[in-house]
Amino acid sequence: MLWEKQRGAMSLVELDAAASALGLFIGQNLSDARAIVPLLDAHEIDRETTARIFADLADWHSNASPIVAIVTDISPWGDLVLDITGVSHLFDGEAQMLKQLEGRLSGLGYAVMGSIASTVGAAWALARYMPGQVLAEGNEQAMLRSLPVAALRLETEQVESLKQFGLKQIGQLYSRDRHSLQARFGTSLLLRLDQALGWLEEKITPRLPLAEFSVERRFPEPIGLIEDVLLTAHDLAVTLSVQLERAGMGAQTFHLFLYRVDHKVMTLAVNSARATRDAAHIGRLFSYRAERLQGEYDAGFGIDMIRLSATSLNPLGATQSGAFGSDDGAASLDTFYDLMSSRLGPLSVLRPVEVNSYIPELAVRLEAAVAPSPSHAEEPPPVTRPRPIRLLPQPEAIAVIAEVPDAPPSLMVWRRVSYRFVRASGPERIAAEWQHASLRLALTDSAIEASQGEAGAGFYHEGRSTRDYYTAEDEAGRRFWLFRLGLLGIAPEPRWYLHGIFA
Amino acid sequence: MLGDKAKTIAALREKVAAYDTRPALADSETTAPNLLATPRGYLHEIFADSPVNTGAAFGFALAQSRTMLSDERPGLLILGLKSDSQELGLPYALGFRSFGLDATAFVLIRTDTITELLWAIEEAIACRAVGAIVADVAYAQKALDFTASRRLALRTAASGASVFLVRYARDREATAARYRWLVEPHLSSSPPFDERSSGPPRWRLTLEKGSLGRKAGSEGEKYLVDWTENGLVLANIGNRDFARSPVVTAIPRTAPAALGNR
Repeated sequence: MLWEKQRGAMSLVELDAAASALGLFIGQNLSDARAIVPLLDAHEIDRETTARIFADLADWHSNASPIVAIVTDISPWGDLVLDITGVSHLFDGEAQMLKQLEGRLSGLGYAVMGSIASTVGAAWALARYMPGQVLAEGNEQAMLRSLPVAALRLETEQVESLKQFGLKQIGQLYSRDRHSLQARFGTSLLLRLDQALGWLEEKITPRLPLAEFSVERRFPEPIGLIEDVLLTAHDLAVTLSVQLERAGMGAQTFHLFLYRVDHKVMTLAVNSARATRDAAHIGRLFSYRAERLQGEYDAGFGIDMIRLSATSLNPLGATQSGAFGSDDGAASLDTFYDLMSSRLGPLSVLRPVEVNSYIPELAVRLEAAVAPSPSHAEEPPPVTRPRPIRLLPQPEAIAVIAEVPDAPPSLMVWRRVSYRFVRASGPERIAAEWQHASLRLALTDSAIEASQGEAGAGFYHEGRSTRDYYTAEDEAGRRFWLFRLGLLGIAPEPRWYLHGIFA
Repeated sequence: MLGDKAKTIAALREKVAAYDTRPALADSETTAPNLLATPRGYLHEIFADSPVNTGAAFGFALAQSRTMLSDERPGLLILGLKSDSQELGLPYALGFRSFGLDATAFVLIRTDTITELLWAIEEAIACRAVGAIVADVAYAQKALDFTASRRLALRTAASGASVFLVRYARDREATAARYRWLVEPHLSSSPPFDERSSGPPRWRLTLEKGSLGRKAGSEGEKYLVDWTENGLVLANIGNRDFARSPVVTAIPRTAPAALGNR
């Protein structure tokens, strides 16, 4: 029995069969319930955790059918839908399948009710009010006739008002005038009715990505060692690559689903920079990815099924290797980036991309080498002045001495060390981009941002966010890229930053 | 008859090169536009006295790795620790242009630990399309001991990729690296017509370990070089007392070949 604080009172929200048999009902006060059943096993409901656990359970069911969804119309958990089109023959027919799925859940200690029908609405209604049915297509109208209206996944208020009109069974709605039903009880009533009877198609959103190509292996005895899992992954990759080859396709993303006996699913995903179907490469990507798992890998009581799916498919023609192939090494570089990304994480292997922007930190974007964005049509602006070879991710504020208008400083203090400049060139004026006026420039540290917040600066402001860049060389030959934020005379207090280091 | 002779000579040269774990002489002739160019397939350690001189050491590593890239080995990898990026600065693609490198020519690999970094270097050496690897090791690391550097040195020799470990320290540990450089920035000569601005980057190099051949000198040799459009150019060679020597204008010694062909 679960309770929740509702409008200051502790009311019952979820009951099991034993509790309802004792005369408790949903919405009852907890103290009333305690008075009726003194030894009540009551817990406060934790909706987030419950939803999460139920989602795990739902994912686990993808070992029976690839399309698994949760019907969240009534509550975020509790209603699980499986699309078993073309699957049931693996379980010796629909009735057998239902029995097996229910049996394994009740074996785990869950109270379970289920049914099979050709529409989500009808299956939902039957599971709630006539569990264990397998409804053939076309019989929905006859079967649902005698069920209560609540079986249509309606709001509580709708059910109440339907009752007041004497409409208690679904069959009573069939012959009613649809316009008046819609006017009195809302469009959703007609929608649910049509969906249940199959007059209107209802789409379910699968929880896991649908893969066009997937292969799986079931084990008679659960396995636990990561080595065995990887070995199986490699075997599956061989089978998958044959499938892909037959279709003339290659994939960029591979998912490995590990179904544990204790109804949990672990997923491992790897990306490849270019479409591939090379089984050895896929197998190696997973073994590198598994090294990054370390402590996270937990086989629980064992894994009884492994599925390997391929997504992000691209046509990949057969290539002739050897003789006439022009081997420029690009392929082996891509293979190398794949391996690095699977071991170190995709955001550790980065490729610079030029962006159409004059602002130095925006002019180059680092993107994952395995997930390149489509090439940009826009040409990056020409850069005429030299740029540093190292750019500080966050420009660092420096103290300058002997500031002259429109000239570089003669001395700066950076990280508590002072540098005296003997040579300098500049300024190179880089103004903020008006088209990104709403963007706050990501360079000011929080203290300055706070002080600027009062003045409304930080956002685009011609005089305040313009930078004057100088290249300054100190006595020892070190070269720095400095800038002054804000124009003298316009910005209330121009500040100096160090942004980069030259060779 | 003449063709046979040339073939025999080429075969003999390769044999000698294999004995000597050095690239074939013909190879080093074409890839050595100047005296400081080193053959491919070696481990280099490039030291800077302090992290502030990071730019010079990194720049020299880029200058060297530029000559290591070829059509067969186009890959340039820059490796570093994630934790160092604010202190040292991230490699900035637009700045690589002044080193004759395309802004999108390299791939940056950032790791959490030094062990992962060394592992990544080793894996990169094994990739046959990688020409040069520049790794920011920054400070003295326990994991990078003699054994580790020996591993890297053997692997580079076997594969032909070149590795440049950029380090910032005053002490020197034992290393198996074939070359060890000390790079210090040096006040540049200002370009004509503008006395107040800086000229091309100028570095003072000390070859602490290794040999560049008879002409260029061996251990302990010091060079004052400029990085110009023509590559590394000796600003003043033969004069070991830089402290007293005036800054001499760069004398270009090489044809602009290495940078022009890409």
